[in-house]
Order: sequence, then C-alpha cells, then structure tokens
Amino acid sequence: MAVKETIEAKGQIASPPLTGTELREKIRNFPWWIVGLVGFFVLTAHLVLTRASYQEAFSFIRAGVGVTIQTTLIAYGFALILGLLTGLGRISNNVIIQNVGTLYVELIRGIPMLVLIFFIAFVGVPAGVGLLNRIGEWFSQLGLLFIAQPLLRLENSAVPMTTRAIIALSVTYGAFQAEIFRAGIQSIGRGQMEAARAQGMSYWQAMRFIILPQAIRNVLPALGNDFVSMLKDSSLVSVLAVRDITQIAKLYAGRSFQYQEAYVTLAALYLMMTVVLSAFVKWLERRVRQDERNA
Amino acid sequence: MSATHEMIRVINLRKKFGRLVAVDGVNLTVRKGQVIVIIGPSGSGKSTLLRCINHLEVPTEGEIWIEQQKITGSQRQLNAIRSQIGMVFQHFNLYPHLTVLENVTLAQRIVRKLSKSQAEAIAMHHLERVGIADKARSYPAQLSGGQQQRVAIARALAQDPKIMLFDEPTSALDPEMIKEVLDVMLALANEGITMVVVTHEMGFARAAADEVIFMDRGKIVERAIPEVFFNQPAHERSRAFLSQILSH
Ligand SMILES: Nc1ncnc2c1ncn2[C@@H]1O[C@H](COP(=O)(O)OP(=O)(O)OP(=O)(O)O)[C@@H](O)[C@H]1O
Ligand SMILES: [Mg+2]
Repeated sequence: MAVKETIEAKGQIASPPLTGTELREKIRNFPWWIVGLVGFFVLTAHLVLTRASYQEAFSFIRAGVGVTIQTTLIAYGFALILGLLTGLGRISNNVIIQNVGTLYVELIRGIPMLVLIFFIAFVGVPAGVGLLNRIGEWFSQLGLLFIAQPLLRLENSAVPMTTRAIIALSVTYGAFQAEIFRAGIQSIGRGQMEAARAQGMSYWQAMRFIILPQAIRNVLPALGNDFVSMLKDSSLVSVLAVRDITQIAKLYAGRSFQYQEAYVTLAALYLMMTVVLSAFVKWLERRVRQDERNA
Repeated sequence: MSATHEMIRVINLRKKFGRLVAVDGVNLTVRKGQVIVIIGPSGSGKSTLLRCINHLEVPTEGEIWIEQQKITGSQRQLNAIRSQIGMVFQHFNLYPHLTVLENVTLAQRIVRKLSKSQAEAIAMHHLERVGIADKARSYPAQLSGGQQQRVAIARALAQDPKIMLFDEPTSALDPEMIKEVLDVMLALANEGITMVVVTHEMGFARAAADEVIFMDRGKIVERAIPEVFFNQPAHERSRAFLSQILSH
C-alpha cells in the first residue's frame, strides 16, 4: 500500500527524464509479486478455459465454494461474539470468570486445530447435547414443558456435521479473538476508563461507549487477518466430511484420478477468495483510518 | 455558613498501595463555594486524596462524605454521586473517538438521561463559557493542549456538578497555554463553584484559594489562608517546599 502510494507520488512528480538511479529505484520498489500473483491466476484461467480436464475439475469443485464461505462467515460471527465475551471475561475483576476465560484460551492454544476439530465434533458436541438434555429434564420436573421439550428432543446423532464444523471453528477462533480483544482493550489508557467512571458511567457503559469503540478500531487489522486465516483453516473441516471445496476436491481427485487438475484448481480457488477478502479487509481498515483522519 | 453547607468531609482517610501508605490519616472538610488548593512535593499523596474523594481509589480506612452522604462502604449510589462531582485530569482524558460536542454530551445523555437536544444546548453553553464553542465539531486530536483541557472542563461542568476536582490541570501544558486554562478556572472560582485543586501554580493559589493545604508524606502538614501560608508558613517543611518552588 505504502509502496504503491510512493510510486504514484513519484509518477506525478517525475516528468523530467529519469536518471539511472531513479529508474533502478523504481524497478526495485515495484510490487513484482502482484505480477506473479496475477500470472498464477491467468495461467489457471487459461488451463480451465482451454483444457477439458481442468474445466471439468473446476465446475465440479466450484460447487463447494458456497459451503466454504458459509461455514467461514457463520463461524467467524460466532467466534467474534465468543471472543469478545471471553476477552472481557479475562480482564474481569471476578476471579472465577477471569480464570474460566484464561483456562479456555490456554486449552485451545495448546491443542492442534485438527485435533480440536475432531475433539469438539465427537466429544464436545455429544457432551453438550447430553448437558442440554439434563437441563431439559430438570425443567420438565419444574413443569416448564415449553422449555423442556425442545431440549429433551435434541439428539447427538441428529446434529449435522456442518453444525459441528461451525461449532469447532467458532470455539477455536473464539479463543484467538479473545486474545485480540483483550489486548485491544488493554491498549486503551487507564485514563479513559477513569474519566468515564468519574462522570458517573457504570463499568459497562464505559466499556460500551468509551473503551470498546476505541479498542475495536485498534484491533481491526488483527480481526481482519483472522478472518482470512479462518477462511483457510475452514479447509480442515473436510475431515468431518463437510462438503467444502477441500472435501469436494479430494472426492473429485479420488474418483477421477486427476490429482493435478483437482489440486491446482483448489489452490487457485482459495487464493482467489483470500486475495479478495484481504483486499476487502484492507479497504475497510483504510476507511476507518480515513474517518479518523477527517475526524 | 452552617454545617449543612458542608460539601466534602474526609474523616481519618488512609490509603495504602501494598505496603506503601499514600495517604496517612487525612481529615478535611470543604464547605460550599470554597476553593481549596492542595500543594506538596511529588508522591505526597495529593492525587490519591483527590481520587479517593470521588472513589476512583478505594480508601483503605476512613470515611468520605459528600453532602451528608457517605460514599465509602456502601456503593449503591456511587454513580449518581460521581455524576455530581466533576473531575479534570492532568492529561485531559478526552474521548478521542468522539467530537468535542459528543465528549461533552455523552455522560449527560447516558447518565443523566437527557435528550440529545437538551444535552447539546447545555454543552454549547459550557463550551462558550470556556471559549471554545467554535470547535464543537472538531476531534480532540485537532485541538491544542490548552483547548483540550478547556473542553475537559466544559465536559465536567456539563454534569452540573456540585464539586469540581482538578488534578494538576496545567502540568501537561506548554507554558503559553497555561494562562488560558487558569483564566477559566479563576472565573469558575469567582462564580462560587466548590473546587479542590491540586496544582503547582502558586499565582492561582494566591488569587483564587480560600485555603491552601500543604501535604507531605501522606499527611496534611499545614492548612492556612493564602496570605498566611505564602508569607508566614508555620512549618519547616512548608517553608522548605515554598523556597524550593519559588526559587525556580
Ligand atoms: N495505583 C497505584 N499503585 C501503587 N502505588 C501508587 C498508585 N498510585 C499512587 N501510588 C503511590 O502513592 C504515592 C502517592 O502518590 P500520588 O500520586 O498521590 O502523589 P502526588 O502527590 O499526586 O504526586 P505527584 O505530584 O507526582 O502527582 C506515591 O508514592 C505513588 O508512587
Ligand atoms: Mg499527582
């Protein structure tokens, strides 16, 4: 970004002929990697358009894009909520809440994501369903049937793999984002909370109106990075047989034996999604920063 | 004035940070309309005393009463009581993500539950009072230090406070901006607002203070009217401090 701006700036000033060093400088600063990236896309597009085998792989695998995006978006939304709550919990004065939050974050950070996905899908979810059943029984003893019945009707085997995958991703990324939110909140000077409390605001009013708006603005880049990471990590849910693009590409390769076509297409699709998403995130950040500057 | 006009009463206040005793048995009463200036060397507990008065620090021992209401111990009314005490900080502590106008209206709206138009009318009144109404739409970062501190004063005034607390309001300012802030404070003092001011500005103390309090090592060493305090300080430590400060 900065590179591009300096190039543009130079382009406007540099009407007189360039000297040798200037030219060399310009070549050095040019973002050649973008050329490489575009080249990769052009090459893949060329293959898909000209070769029947690539065309077939592409139209087959493409069908998983929806699942990948949907899984990522929903899980990201839940992870944001979970992360914010946990982040707030970790800085809470309540020792129990603070410790529960820290335990959660440390557990998740110490276990590989692939293992976590298996664990949450096959241990966590059944345990959760069992717990909800128990709560249902308890409510039915209290005679609150309208709450009890939907809880009692829950069955572990009825929870689809997509749901398990979303829960697994949310819980995992919730812990990462808790750390982001915590760091963001702690980066706001103590004086802000004090000024707000001195004005008679409650702790939560001060959080809501003073601390979080500033903290979230500060952590937007980190949250954006996590969004891109999650899109990539969503490929791990293919181990649960969720039909995201990775799973579909695997199926296609196994069935057609066209491994090269399948995985070139898969990589290109991910790259396309992450490049677009990164650009969107950067744009969002720049807008927020601009607001601040105009402000 | 009668005892019913007692605005602040501090009884035997002690505040410890771990093993360090920051405030060590302070008794203090401030009556309505009084301007009290607290001076003393760095680390003598001035800020801590001030911050205990609106319970930003929780006292280790002792009692604080604000207008016949005890605020130590039970804290149910704390937010309501705090909203009646304006506080001005050394580093302004304006909310950087909000405009000047929003800085001044926010607490009015969410604590005092005023409507937007009411809060803005009050805000503009106080911004005019501190001479900065033309910056209402600016953000704090676009203002000079002196302007920011005047906004902070307007923000506190907009709470319609019974008491104003100032903790070294000019210490973070460039010399050329100190006067604009002191002028505003002097005007407030003349209007009869109850003020407790921690400051090193001896000129302000002479001009505005009803009483000067000298603190050292967590204790009030001397309490006197400015003429007496500056001309014939009773205590050795007050004299030493004054000669040090005035020799600068
Ligand atoms: N939050 C805190 N935690 C630990 N110690 C503290 C804290 N706040 C103040 N202190 C200590 O308490 C003592 C009194 O501090 P205080 O800020 O009240 O002094 P002060 O008179 O305001 O000094 P200054 O003129 O430097 O502002 C100091 O020794 C200080 O280091
Ligand atoms: Mg201080």
